[in-house]
Amino acid sequence: MDVTLEIHRFVEDRKWIQKYTLTVKTGMTVLEALTEIKEKQDPTLSFTCSCRSSICGACAVRVNGNAELACEMLVDKLMKRYDTNTLTVEPLGNFRVIRDLIVDWDPKYARIKKIKPALQPKAEFTAETGCKQSPEDFDKYKKYAGCILCGSCVSECNKNTLDQKDFLDPFVFVKAEKLVADSRERSPEEHLKAVVDAGLWRCFNCQECTAKCPKDLDPAGAIEKLKAATFKYKIEETVGAKHAKAIYEDIEESGTLDESKLNIKSEGLLMSALRAPMAFRLMKVGKLNPMDKHPVNPEISTIQKIVKTAEKEEE
Amino acid sequence: MGKRISRRSFIKGAAAAGVVLAAGSYFTWNGKNIPEAVKQGDAIYDVLIIGSGGAGMRAALAAAANKDLKVAVMTKLIPTRSASTMAQGGMNGVTGVTDPADTVESHAFDTIKGGDYLSDQDAVEFFAERAGKNIYEMDFMGYPYNRQSDGSFHQRKMGGSSHARAAYFEDRAGHAMVHTLFEQCLKNDIDFISECQMLEICREEGKLQGVIAMDMRSGNIMGIPAKTVLIATGGYGRAYWIRTSNPYSSTGDGIVAGMKLGIPFKDPEMVQFHPTGLAANGVLLSESSRAEGALLVNKNGERFMAKYAPAKMELATRDIVAQAIATEIEQGRGIGEGIHAGVYMDFTKIPPSRIQERLGQVYDLSRRFAGVDITKEPVLISPTCHYSMGGLEMTDFHTGATRIPAVFTAGECSCVSIHGANRLGANSLSEVLVFGHVAGDGAAAYAKEHAYEGSQDVLSGACSKWMDHFDSVTSRTRIEGRTVPEIRDAMVDTMWFKVGVFREEGQLQQASQELRALEQDYAHCYVGDSSHVYNTAFEQYVEVGNLLQISHAIVQGAIARKESRGGHSRRDYPKRDDVHFLKHTLIFQENGKYRTEYKNVVLTKYPPKERKY
Repeated sequence: MDVTLEIHRFVEDRKWIQKYTLTVKTGMTVLEALTEIKEKQDPTLSFTCSCRSSICGACAVRVNGNAELACEMLVDKLMKRYDTNTLTVEPLGNFRVIRDLIVDWDPKYARIKKIKPALQPKAEFTAETGCKQSPEDFDKYKKYAGCILCGSCVSECNKNTLDQKDFLDPFVFVKAEKLVADSRERSPEEHLKAVVDAGLWRCFNCQECTAKCPKDLDPAGAIEKLKAATFKYKIEETVGAKHAKAIYEDIEESGTLDESKLNIKSEGLLMSALRAPMAFRLMKVGKLNPMDKHPVNPEISTIQKIVKTAEKEEE
Repeated sequence: MGKRISRRSFIKGAAAAGVVLAAGSYFTWNGKNIPEAVKQGDAIYDVLIIGSGGAGMRAALAAAANKDLKVAVMTKLIPTRSASTMAQGGMNGVTGVTDPADTVESHAFDTIKGGDYLSDQDAVEFFAERAGKNIYEMDFMGYPYNRQSDGSFHQRKMGGSSHARAAYFEDRAGHAMVHTLFEQCLKNDIDFISECQMLEICREEGKLQGVIAMDMRSGNIMGIPAKTVLIATGGYGRAYWIRTSNPYSSTGDGIVAGMKLGIPFKDPEMVQFHPTGLAANGVLLSESSRAEGALLVNKNGERFMAKYAPAKMELATRDIVAQAIATEIEQGRGIGEGIHAGVYMDFTKIPPSRIQERLGQVYDLSRRFAGVDITKEPVLISPTCHYSMGGLEMTDFHTGATRIPAVFTAGECSCVSIHGANRLGANSLSEVLVFGHVAGDGAAAYAKEHAYEGSQDVLSGACSKWMDHFDSVTSRTRIEGRTVPEIRDAMVDTMWFKVGVFREEGQLQQASQELRALEQDYAHCYVGDSSHVYNTAFEQYVEVGNLLQISHAIVQGAIARKESRGGHSRRDYPKRDDVHFLKHTLIFQENGKYRTEYKNVVLTKYPPKERKY
């Protein structure tokens, strides 16, 4: 069985798509296919790799629009998944491309630095005697210690595609949640404040990161946990937090959303005033009527019970 | 048929509205992988560390604790892609936390015995004394240790250890260590010089000048002036290319650069083979396979371990099992041909539920790379090169110094020697921490007391020599010679079949000749890419050139050591010979020739005994 890889090439400002055909062998990973092309067909094809056992994170690429770790993804599995003999291989999205499938990690390091990425141990711990932590507390963050910095999560992140400047990469949030949830940490607030400033509440919640993480770390879940932690540590003076709070209050009080006040509660009176043109347009088409009395859901007592149960579950 | 719009493409469309879709447009290149001052050529480093694995980053943290010193870590990849990340088991160190009966003496003895008495015992004692402290220190840095009920890190017992002394994070101890160190480096604003292939350490008239390296992104060849250079480039397992569990980057670059300065390559023949690598590609199937009851079976369906270790069977030590498998294959009772030949590892007697519960990774790897469901059929395995005990001679284990002033070394590329002829599980991560720290301090102390003695002129002379070399090598055509991968594969055939698990005089001599012939081929090989931007073909050319020299030293050391000890197993000299070979091999490289010397093993209070488990 043959496969054709259509590889997005980029060398010294020249950009093209090149097709390579090769025979699929048992256990042939995307990385092995790329290596075979480089060694047997075209030595100029460039990519990075190191461990070939999915722990170093060097070889993530995009196949048919989705990020994959090249060293662990089998070619025939992808052929079955997309029901095709032709696969498109591109560099990861939301990275600068240096050459072919090689991308630039420098800006990402600068972004990791924003969240103060190292543990600040509590005062009772020392370098000579180490730290203490219960197995239960270890369980709270251990998943997030498994990040391999492969960049798969950010490749299809829609918020990053729109604008990278006021947001972070999902893996940076994963690192932040690792520190915030670590009982050894003296000041989770510091990491949290940094994360909020760097755009925590701007996540689109599209779940692409969670779908792509080859280590199943659920970065979107980490982002949700960070948001929840902002309430625990009382870092609520942000639009996102106020928005979440306003929704919560509406649901708890009336069982429905009071959309006419939601914006004012989230952004404040002044910022909301700037949105007046939008409000007028909505009124014109009958989607918003400031005169309406906010209705109360007849099932309000059931809804309140659900909210209470959910809160207990969280605890 | 109507086109369905998924939620994802809807959001994507919204996100893309009004902005240029990133995938469609490449940006003008402006790399920050190298600090500006280095690009300008006016940074003189006090300590320049080559290699960003555990040893390199630990050394950087130690050296940078001196705030007035300029410290940088250079790597051919980016900082978290090293071999250290692949370590699974843990880091040994005596703390008494899990097993209060453990002692520093016991750790030292286990290490020396495991090393078949080729370890320098004073160095091992120093190592065992400090290894435990590192575990606490890593805790303070944020290492995510698995915990026990009293809140301390938990320690487990590894093969060859008599107590539970390896602290760990799940089965990814090395990964956690590298990322913890990297976080600390970010916090301390350590300079990284990323994606730069080191070409040469430049020293003239007895004065260290600095390092010549190629910036992979621009293709520029730079001279980086440095007062001290610390070589931490890792092992040389890739001399066995497909038959190693090591990453592609373990090509012994630093060892070759060190040899060129006059530092001997100590005990190069000491290579550890793990018995159970996948026959397909050398990837390791964990030791726990055999512990859980997997059987080793040859072509005729025999459980052949009965012949080699009737009492322990599959549970005999790594070297014994590896030698048994190699013998079966050699004598025609293996399955498959050539470098992918192997024997069966059979899991079908183990209940599938237990495989899922305890051997999840083994199941996944076999399924993925060999296409085999181990709950239903056996998988083909054969030994795989796992660790390099040999390395650059460290002359002072208190400072990480080599015999060349201002040049220091630590980690797998160095030979202290604590591992002797065979390394114990979970001693490598401890080694990189202990000696990374020591060497970082040592280099820093040296830098404080010495001025930079080199000159920019010498460095730029060396740079232009390499630029010319790049041009001449990359402009060759296909007709002129073999490709770099062809030469490498030929080298691996030589190394695997003639310098592998078993060695023998005639074959070693032949290997030496074959390597000489390959060096000739290499001199006019075909690289095939002349671009200056991220030329991985040229990088591979440099690496294979290094591996050829490493291989030569391995063969040279193996010829000279006429005994069997630890990882070095001679068919013609099957016994350990303490009368003649309680010595370290030192291989010097001089003008392309290799010269052998010996140095006595340092003994303290552990007299050599027969190694029995």
